Amino acid sequence: MTEPQPRKLRTWSAFGDIKRVPSEYEIGTHGLNYTARKDRKAALESSPTTPVNLWLLTYRDKSPLSCDDWDGFRDPDQMTYRKYVELQAEQENMIEGVIEEYEAKSHDAHLSGEWVAFLGRALCPMRYPNHAIQMTQAYIGSIAASSYVIHAAAFAAADMLRRNTVVATRTRQLQKAWPDAGFGINERGTWETDPAWQPLRRAVETALVAYDWGEALTVVNLALRPAVDFLLLNALGEAADKAGDGLTWLLLSNLAGDSARNRRWSTALARYAIAQCSENRVALVRWLKHWQPRIDDAVAGLAELVASAPGAGATREVVVKRATQVRREALAEAGLS
Amino acid sequence: MARMKREEWFDIASDVDWTFKFVDREAVFPEWMSGKGKAPFEAWLSWDEPYKISYPEYVANQREKETAAFAVKSLLRRSKTFDQLDEGWKSVHKAHYGAVALIEFLAILSELRMARFGLAPKWRNVAVFGALDELRHTQLTLAFAHEHIKEDPQYDWAHKAYHTNEWGIVAARALFDGFMMNPNAVDIAIQLPFTFETGFTNMQFVALAADALESGDLNFANMISSIQTDEARHAQQGHPTLEILMKHDPDRAQWLVDKTFWLSARLFAILTGPAMDYYTPLAQRRHSYKEFMQEWIIEQYLRTITSYGLKKPWYWQEFVDGLDTWHHSLHLGVWFWRPTVWWKPQAGVSRAERRWLLSKYPDWEQHFGWIWDQLIENVNAGRIDKTLPETLPWLCNTCQLPIGTAASPSNEKYPIRSYQLEHDGYTYHFCSKPCRQIWWKDRDTQHMKTIVERLLTGEINPPTVEGILGYMGLTPDVMGDDAYKYRWAEEYREPPKQAAE
Repeated sequence: MTEPQPRKLRTWSAFGDIKRVPSEYEIGTHGLNYTARKDRKAALESSPTTPVNLWLLTYRDKSPLSCDDWDGFRDPDQMTYRKYVELQAEQENMIEGVIEEYEAKSHDAHLSGEWVAFLGRALCPMRYPNHAIQMTQAYIGSIAASSYVIHAAAFAAADMLRRNTVVATRTRQLQKAWPDAGFGINERGTWETDPAWQPLRRAVETALVAYDWGEALTVVNLALRPAVDFLLLNALGEAADKAGDGLTWLLLSNLAGDSARNRRWSTALARYAIAQCSENRVALVRWLKHWQPRIDDAVAGLAELVASAPGAGATREVVVKRATQVRREALAEAGLS
Repeated sequence: MARMKREEWFDIASDVDWTFKFVDREAVFPEWMSGKGKAPFEAWLSWDEPYKISYPEYVANQREKETAAFAVKSLLRRSKTFDQLDEGWKSVHKAHYGAVALIEFLAILSELRMARFGLAPKWRNVAVFGALDELRHTQLTLAFAHEHIKEDPQYDWAHKAYHTNEWGIVAARALFDGFMMNPNAVDIAIQLPFTFETGFTNMQFVALAADALESGDLNFANMISSIQTDEARHAQQGHPTLEILMKHDPDRAQWLVDKTFWLSARLFAILTGPAMDYYTPLAQRRHSYKEFMQEWIIEQYLRTITSYGLKKPWYWQEFVDGLDTWHHSLHLGVWFWRPTVWWKPQAGVSRAERRWLLSKYPDWEQHFGWIWDQLIENVNAGRIDKTLPETLPWLCNTCQLPIGTAASPSNEKYPIRSYQLEHDGYTYHFCSKPCRQIWWKDRDTQHMKTIVERLLTGEINPPTVEGILGYMGLTPDVMGDDAYKYRWAEEYREPPKQAAE
C-alpha cells in the first residue's frame, strides 16, 4: 500500500476546525455519547423496537427540548472527574473539621429540647426527598443526549449522595446525644404524614415519573431545586444559626455550594437551549406552567416548616416570598424571566 | 475526635425508601427499566453490597489515585518512552483505546440507569459511585490517548471509533449496547458487573498491564492499572443482584450469564487475543492468550458461577475448544482486512514467532500456517494486492464477526461453515450454534442488519471496497497497514537456517 501522508491533528477530529487547544475538560467530555450520533437507525445497535430504543426515541430524541448540537454546551464550572474529587475531598475535610470542633464541645448536648424536636421534624426527614432528587439527577444523566450534560448530571447525583451522607451523619449524632428523641426512627413517618412535607412529597414522587428528559430537567433542576434547596439548606441553616446550632448551620451552608453549582450548569443549559432554538423556550415555559402549582404547594409547605423553627423570627409569608424570589432569580438566569 | 465511623450512620443513609402515595410504584420502577421480574419488590430490598464505602472515603481515595496517575503521565510526557515503543505494541494501544474509551462512557449510562431504576436504595447509591468510577475511566483513557494524536492520527479513533460503522465497532456496539444499555437494571447488573467486569475486564486490564510493563510502556501500564483498582468496588453490584434472582428466577439468571459470557468471549477473541499472541513483541510475551483465558477466565469464572448455583454453560466445550482457534482466525482476518481497522496489525508470524505459536498451540501450523505461507509468498513476490481484500466476509447475525472465525479450514470438529436459520422467509447466518441459539431466543432485540446485509440492500454506496471503507469512516491516513511494513516476511526468502528450526 502507498504510505499515506499523515494529517496533522492536534486534538479529536470531532472538534472540527478548532483554532485553540481544547481544555482538559473538553478533551474528556466532548462528543462521547455515540448513541445520539447522526446517521443511525436507532440509538442502540439492536433492533430499533427494543424497549430502551423506544424509550430513548420517545423521551430523548423526540423531546420538545431539542437541539442540533447539544455538544456546544459547556458546564460553566468545567467539571472533570479529577477536579470533582479534588474539590469534594477538600469540602469533606472541611465537614470533618467542623464536626470535630463541635463534637469536642459536646455541642448537641447543649441544644434546647425544642430545637432538637424541630431538627427531628425539619432536618432529618430530608433524606427521603434528597434521595428522590438523587434519582432524578441520575435519570437526567442516563438519558441526556450530550456527554457535557451527562457528566454534569452524574456529579449532581453524587452531590445528592454527599448531602444524604451529611444528613445521616447529623441524624446519628443527634440520636447519640438525644437517644429518646426518635432520631433514626421517626423520619419516615414524618415524611409520609407531616402535612408540611406532603406537597414536596407529591412534587418529587411525580417528578420521578417525568420521563421526558427535558421535562425532568425543567421540573427538578430549574423549578424545584432552586426553591427547595434554598428552603432546606439556606433558610433552614439560617434558622439553625439563630437557634445557636452552629454545627447544623455550617453543614447546610457547605452543602449549599453543591446546589449553587447544580444551578449554574442547569440554568446555563436552558440558556444554551433557547439560544440554539427559540422553540425550546416554549417547551420550557409550558413545563414550568404545568408544574408551578405543585411546586408552589411544596414551597408553601416547607416555608411553614422553616417558619415554625423556634426563634425563627420570620413568618411563613416572608419565607415564601424569599423562596419565590430565589426561584425567579434562577429562572432569570435560565433566560426564562 | 475524628468523624464518626461509617458503620454508625451508613444504614440511616440508605434508609430512604418510602411508600409512594401520588404515583404507582410500577410507574417509578417500570419493568422495562427496572426488571424486577418474578421477584416481588420486597425481595429486592434485601439487596446489600458486601464492600461498603462512604462518600468522604470515596473522594479522599480517588483524589489520591488521580494525583498518582496524572503525576506518572506528566513525568513520562517529558521522556521519549513513546517513541521507543514497538509499532506492534502501539497497535495494542490503539485497538484498546478505540474499543474501550467510549465503552467506559457507555458504562456511565449503565451505572446511572441502575442509580435511577435499581430496586433498592443501597444498590442505587453504589451505582452512583459506579457512575463516577466510569467517568474517571472515560476521562483517564481519553486523556492518555489524546497525548499521541499529534504523532499519529490513528489515536483519534480513541474518540471517533464508536461514532463510525467500522465493522469491529459495529460488533462491539452490538455486544455492549446489547448488555449495557438495552436491558433493565437487574439484567444490566447480572451482565455487566457480574459476568463482564468480574471476568473479562480483569482479563483485559491485568493481562495488558503486565504486557505493557514488559514492553516498557509505563504510561499505559500506569493508566490501566489505576483503572483496574476501581473495578472491584462497582463490580460487586452483580453479586447481590444475582443472589436475589437465583432465589426467584434461576432460569433467567442462567440465560443472562450464559449468553453474555459467550458474546463477550467472541469479542475478546478479537480485542485481546491478537494483542497478546501477535502484537506484543515476542520477547515481552509472558503468557499466551489461551493460558490467560484458562487462568483468569475459565478457572475463576466456573468457580464463581457454581458458587451461586449456576450451571456450566451449555456450550462450554465449544468455548474451550475455541481458545485454540477463534483469535487466530480473527487475527488472520484483521491482518487481511487491515485497511478496515484503525491500527497497524502486526502479522506476528516470523519464524521465531511461529515457533512460539506452535509451542502454545500445537495445531497452529496445521490450521493456519499454510494460509500465512501463501500470504508470505505473495508479499515476497511483491503481490501485495493479493494480500488485500476485494470485498467483505459474510458476518454472523449475532456477534457480527466474520463467519468462519469460530472455526478454521482444517478443523474437523468446527469446520468453516455457516449455521443457518430460516425465519419469516429469510435466511440468517451464524458463526456457531450458540450464536444461532442466542439470536433465536433474543430475536426481538437482536434483529439488526450486519454490514454485509447493509451492503446487499443498497445502504452502502458505491458497493466497492472504497465505498465500504468510506461507510466505515476509514480515511487513508488512518487505514491500517502491516505494522512492520512487511519486513518480517523477508526471512522467508531463504530456507530456514537450521532444519531443527
